[in-house]
Amino acid sequence: MSRQDLAETAENASLNQNSYAKKGWLKKPSQELIVLATALVCFLFFAVTLTGFASFGNLVTMLRSIAVLGILSTGMAVVVIGRGLDLSQVSVMAISSAWVLTLMSSDMSLVTIMFLGLGFALVVGILNGWIVAFIEIPPLFATLATGLVCFGVGRWVLLSGVHAYPPKEAADFLFLGQGIVFGLPMPVLIFLVVAGVIHVFLRRTTIGRHIYGLGDNILAARLIGISVRPLIILTYMISAAAAFIAGITTAATVASMNTEIVNSTLIFDVLLVVVLGGVSLSGGRGGIVSVVVGAILIGILLNGMTILNINSDVQNIAKAVVLLAAIIVDRRLHPKDEETDKQGDH
Amino acid sequence: MNENTTPKPIIEIKGATKIYGGVHAIENVSFDLYPGEIHALAGENGAGKSTLCKSMAGTIKLTSGSIYINGEERSFADPGEALDVGIAMVYQETSLVPSMSVAQNLRLGKEQFLTRMRGLYIEGQVMLQTLNFHVDPTLSVSMLGAAQRQMVEIARAVYHDAKVIIFDEPTATLTPEEKQHFFDLVRDLKARGVAIIYVSHALEESLEISDRITVLRDGKHIVTDETGNMSRDDLVRHMVGRSEEQTIYHHEGSSGTTSGVAKKKKKMLTVENVTMGNMVKNMSFSAYEGEIAVLAGLVGSGRTEIAKIIVGAYKRNLFHGGRIFLDGKAVRYRVPKQAVDDGIVYITEDRKVEGFLETMSINDNIYLSWLASKLGSSFLVSKKQRNTLGPEMVKKMAVRAPSGETRVNELSGGNQQKVVVAKSVVQRPKLVIFDEPTRGVDVGSIPEIHQIIRDLAAEGVTVLVISSYLPEVMALADRVLVARQGRIVEEFNSTDVTEEKIMYAAVH
Repeated sequence: MSRQDLAETAENASLNQNSYAKKGWLKKPSQELIVLATALVCFLFFAVTLTGFASFGNLVTMLRSIAVLGILSTGMAVVVIGRGLDLSQVSVMAISSAWVLTLMSSDMSLVTIMFLGLGFALVVGILNGWIVAFIEIPPLFATLATGLVCFGVGRWVLLSGVHAYPPKEAADFLFLGQGIVFGLPMPVLIFLVVAGVIHVFLRRTTIGRHIYGLGDNILAARLIGISVRPLIILTYMISAAAAFIAGITTAATVASMNTEIVNSTLIFDVLLVVVLGGVSLSGGRGGIVSVVVGAILIGILLNGMTILNINSDVQNIAKAVVLLAAIIVDRRLHPKDEETDKQGDH
Repeated sequence: MNENTTPKPIIEIKGATKIYGGVHAIENVSFDLYPGEIHALAGENGAGKSTLCKSMAGTIKLTSGSIYINGEERSFADPGEALDVGIAMVYQETSLVPSMSVAQNLRLGKEQFLTRMRGLYIEGQVMLQTLNFHVDPTLSVSMLGAAQRQMVEIARAVYHDAKVIIFDEPTATLTPEEKQHFFDLVRDLKARGVAIIYVSHALEESLEISDRITVLRDGKHIVTDETGNMSRDDLVRHMVGRSEEQTIYHHEGSSGTTSGVAKKKKKMLTVENVTMGNMVKNMSFSAYEGEIAVLAGLVGSGRTEIAKIIVGAYKRNLFHGGRIFLDGKAVRYRVPKQAVDDGIVYITEDRKVEGFLETMSINDNIYLSWLASKLGSSFLVSKKQRNTLGPEMVKKMAVRAPSGETRVNELSGGNQQKVVVAKSVVQRPKLVIFDEPTRGVDVGSIPEIHQIIRDLAAEGVTVLVISSYLPEVMALADRVLVARQGRIVEEFNSTDVTEEKIMYAAVH
């Protein structure tokens, strides 16, 4: 009832015309803006204090270092906007790309092999989506399990060791990671293309809008006639496809794939970037632009700290601080329930 | 009435003001309560009743103003402190812990360091029996029905030795028999000297049970008077401060049609022996084009369930589940999408849970709904389409909002409901099912929503309305179907229906 009180009074307030609307952007800056501003401040700080930070070469290096993280994050963002979570991303990335490397020693064409790898990733994505949508298991557990299954099956059946390497003559393939086009390294280009495609998909297509509806309120979305279950599966397929692309980019950059990457903290970095970019874990909010901005902020911080020769433990702490700050800001800006948010602790 | 015998108020509030985000929820409200008194609080949605109650129960802190308990100024940091001085609130959404047993819930908040379960159960049993409640204290609360939960809440308040009990919409989920039992209990509490604050939408209840009534409007104190001095009309006038309520529930039928003509109309929906588990048993009825059929009955009589079965949100039994015909064609929907494609929409009774998308603006909500229907089956979205559809529907539904870009959860209940209706109407349905169309809607918006419903019927749409509120049933219906325990037990024409007949059919 008193939520209605609020709604009613809030309505009266905003009907009081202009004052509210004018101050709107001051009162509630989007998290995207805050992250962008923070990124700019960090950038300027490092640019002034560190010689060579603002050089084109270093910036390209910085972008390159976050390209794979960025690709994974854009895929993850789609799932999170649909109020899901995909913890299987890194194992899909590692296994699908390592399998591609292994298959390259056979006499299949590169295109065929790529489709096989992508197919493997999509199967895991469909499995994820199916478990979440039809069996209705929370995505946290569902994707944790499929990630382990994917990793186990991959290492046991598809691969023959921890590492996978491409054959000697694989220039076409390695170009994907090491080539330079228009002065930009391929990983950066791939990142930008993936981000661009997903951005247009989310913003401009009907299905993209449906994903926002799904994440906002699945029951309401279902009642207005959105087929929510196929849509959930689709989001996990996109995430898996992004994982595959990220895997190929990594493999081509370093000419190998170390499947031990599954045991790294990469998946948490992905979530860090997604949340930092203002994609709310409660679904329905955020976009690809802010994820890209989030990735760049992380890139600037890590790059700057690396140049400053700050050790990785401190870097981890810095990431943690940034993540917590982002979540706290998100909480303040988008309280789930206005009333409880305002009364509880004041 | 009791002021003469007990001159000292147990609670006195002076100049209470609560500001949420720069807006006054209540402003300079004064209120007093005497032991052994039943004091009703009346007012529209958003008048500030809940805010006032919560400030007394310690759930919220007043921005300014003072609360005197037995003449002594107090301020509560949390509900526990209010409970310590004997103020307990029985919430609209019950505040019991579902996974705990009844006895554990009774003691909740006053646990000892070590608890012996047997002692707890015995104590609970004694407690419940003295109140004449037949609830097993060892049962977990999740197994109880709404009425029993209410009893446990009340028992808890009594257990905590409450001197003041605040009831917020206590009868909303009760059947008439349970309601009478509840009133007896309240009178019993009163006889023991407990002071009671009674918040209810149903004015008749407030008038029946209370000693005094306080009316709030727009967060301000309007009047406090002995119930004997007030009529229903006075109350409504104070609450609304503008028009009289009678006009709201004025029967017009669906415009341009009288019920006599309804016979000639085409049968749009036929439900035959539909069964779903325990909730819907062999339900059969029909609805005609251009007609408003109202499904009346008690909460839990299977009305919402049958509506959700029709639109495919729930599934009827696979075997012997009955049949549903739309326009003569047998249909069985697995998901609402199929129903929407066939022109059936369902407007939910619980808009906060499944009515609208809260992160999106009014325009986006309407446009997304259009996109989800067959009309908007394009691959790319169109900004132009969005910007024409939104304002068009906002105008048609008379949604009052600062702009089409306002988020829906910033609107009042009535305007939210209009947006929810707009979302469905934009899909150009042949059959619309309204489930409690005016629940939680401000009085001013009720006639507007009723007019929208009548207009739809006049356009030839088949309208099925589910309503528990009899004046609404009487105002809208061309035909009344009464549901009881999963069946349609009675059908009335608008010419020969009375509230009493409906109630009798719904209960017996």
